[in-house]
Amino acid sequence: MPLLEVDNISIGYHTRNGYLKAVEGVSFVLEEGQSLGLVGESGCGKTTIGMALMGLLPPNGSVSTGRILLEGKNILVMSDEEKRRIRWRKMAMIFQAAMNALNPVQRVGNQIAEAILVHNPSLEKEAALSQVEGLFDLVGIPRERLTDYPHQYSGGMKQRAVIAMALACHPKVIIADEPTTALDVIVQDQILEEVRALQREFNIGIIFISHDISIVADMCHEIGVMYAGQLVEFGPWRTVFESPAHPYTKALLSSFPTLTGKKSDLVPIPGETPNLINPPAGCRFCDRCPEAQAFCKTTPSQWVDIGSGHKALCCRS
Amino acid sequence: MNIDNENKQILQMRNVSKIYKGKGSLFRSSGKDVIALNRISLDIYKGEIFGLVGESGSGKTTAGRLIVSLEETTSGRIFLDSREVTALKGRELKAFRRKVQMIFQDPYQSLNPQRSVYDTVSEPLKIHRMGKASDRKDRVREALKAVGLSPPDDFLFRYPHRLSGGQRQRVAIARAMVLNPEFVIADEPTSMLDASISAQIFNILLTMRNRLGVTQMFITHSLAAARYLCDRIAVIYRGNLMELGPAEEVIKNPKHPYTQALIDAVPKFGHSKDARRYGTLLSKDHEVREDKGCIFYPRCAVADHNTCPRREPGLSQIGIDHWVACFRQGSKESGLTPFTYGLAEGR
Repeated sequence: MPLLEVDNISIGYHTRNGYLKAVEGVSFVLEEGQSLGLVGESGCGKTTIGMALMGLLPPNGSVSTGRILLEGKNILVMSDEEKRRIRWRKMAMIFQAAMNALNPVQRVGNQIAEAILVHNPSLEKEAALSQVEGLFDLVGIPRERLTDYPHQYSGGMKQRAVIAMALACHPKVIIADEPTTALDVIVQDQILEEVRALQREFNIGIIFISHDISIVADMCHEIGVMYAGQLVEFGPWRTVFESPAHPYTKALLSSFPTLTGKKSDLVPIPGETPNLINPPAGCRFCDRCPEAQAFCKTTPSQWVDIGSGHKALCCRS
Repeated sequence: MNIDNENKQILQMRNVSKIYKGKGSLFRSSGKDVIALNRISLDIYKGEIFGLVGESGSGKTTAGRLIVSLEETTSGRIFLDSREVTALKGRELKAFRRKVQMIFQDPYQSLNPQRSVYDTVSEPLKIHRMGKASDRKDRVREALKAVGLSPPDDFLFRYPHRLSGGQRQRVAIARAMVLNPEFVIADEPTSMLDASISAQIFNILLTMRNRLGVTQMFITHSLAAARYLCDRIAVIYRGNLMELGPAEEVIKNPKHPYTQALIDAVPKFGHSKDARRYGTLLSKDHEVREDKGCIFYPRCAVADHNTCPRREPGLSQIGIDHWVACFRQGSKESGLTPFTYGLAEGR
């Protein structure tokens, strides 16, 4: 039984302009101790998936079809009480903007202790605080900073504190949504190294959400590329980056400047992403696709199995 | 590369410092001064794209703002076309503001939401009284076409809320380009944009240089973007110039431990563990007792504990047009010489 299975999930938002199909028909499986990267540009639905997994969709958003199985149990049909119990204890999230994820008027140590106490009501406060000390050691914050307020922390330290909070209840799955986007590259490197070490130590399954394909390539065993609400390519990281099958993945890779290898021209992707209130009938990428054929516009694209876990949602691959 | 052999400087910075006075508060009489830039000297040649690379708080944006004289230097001098920027007044200052333009980081903030694309792009023409009113629309159309907003008539009377982030940034570039500037400073113009859109902006900046010969300073935190766009790059760290040289050379063959640490930290499309590292960054900082050594000493894994914490390294030349501020590079004597290249002081 896989740790987490997302099965054909679709998510939408009711907006003033109509029903927006933010995610459509996404499926993937996460095993223990593995990391799975969801990569794509703004509006592709990657954060929506993370929020749905945590049960934190905004009031106008809902999962319309599909199942999310955590250790075999569908969390979408659970009662609020059951959901509350698995949130943080089985599945935790590292949020995008660490600076906003901490309460500015409460000492950092107390905040994390409180999170522990909420989920283990039998625990004494002192015991919770000593657990926080252990967590600070894990993520590399000096213990004496326990009594500081968030504004006294640097950006990197806040991110570490948020990671400590995610680890507080020993979750099996962590959803990391752009955990290092606001950080400088040296701090980012240190935090990612920390996350890798913690993952190995506790055998955590991580869903890593990012717009930065180079980070996902560095962090994840498997990669899912998303475009306009759909998963368009999935496979082991090396295969996806070394022999991308979907034209969007190819385009994304050739628009990304790198430090290594030959300096080649960057090729921007022409056009804009489609409107998800009225998505196109055929392939969603076909208007921007250099390889598109006439039938791409009219026929919904099908998954093509390329072998060894590599597949693409494109009739031409 | 279009740099002619004379390497004519368009911009010179000489020992430029910017210190922000610490503000006192209700409870404290005075705060600590912040040294945003510490005696930076560099030249930018006509027709090149010069990259200023640094992390947040390194002073890279301050440098840009000083050059366009949005802020005043604390000490040091800046010359554009051999005229001192800080001494410009009246008509000369206005002419300077026509020749030098800036593109800001956030196109969601740098465009006035109540003005149409035409209002925004034509305003510089009105301010500088360029062209007749009837010609202005054509010049705006030209500028929009040059940044890939075509057909321009589709965009002229749109307001920013009906533009995507990439389109907004292109409007901001059109506004800078409509005056035919000689020198453009682009301050992290793509940090708010997706990769595929960033590539469009990079290519527009490259075209501006290749077709029109516009000299540019590209301010960025991304070494990879600098590698793609720039002829030469300068790496700055906490207000100090650490390394300066041809972009490809600095990235392939970095000499300053800080540049090496930066390159180590960039994700490289492969599980990082496999990658070879310079390993110049300490996991735990050295203690510093005195405040006068190399700014990178506390984090430097290859520091000389006698020299580095006590003296500030000057830039010394270690290759063709490649300079580094580190005692561990080149001879120790050359590290002692103050900045020496380019034009003499006090002209």
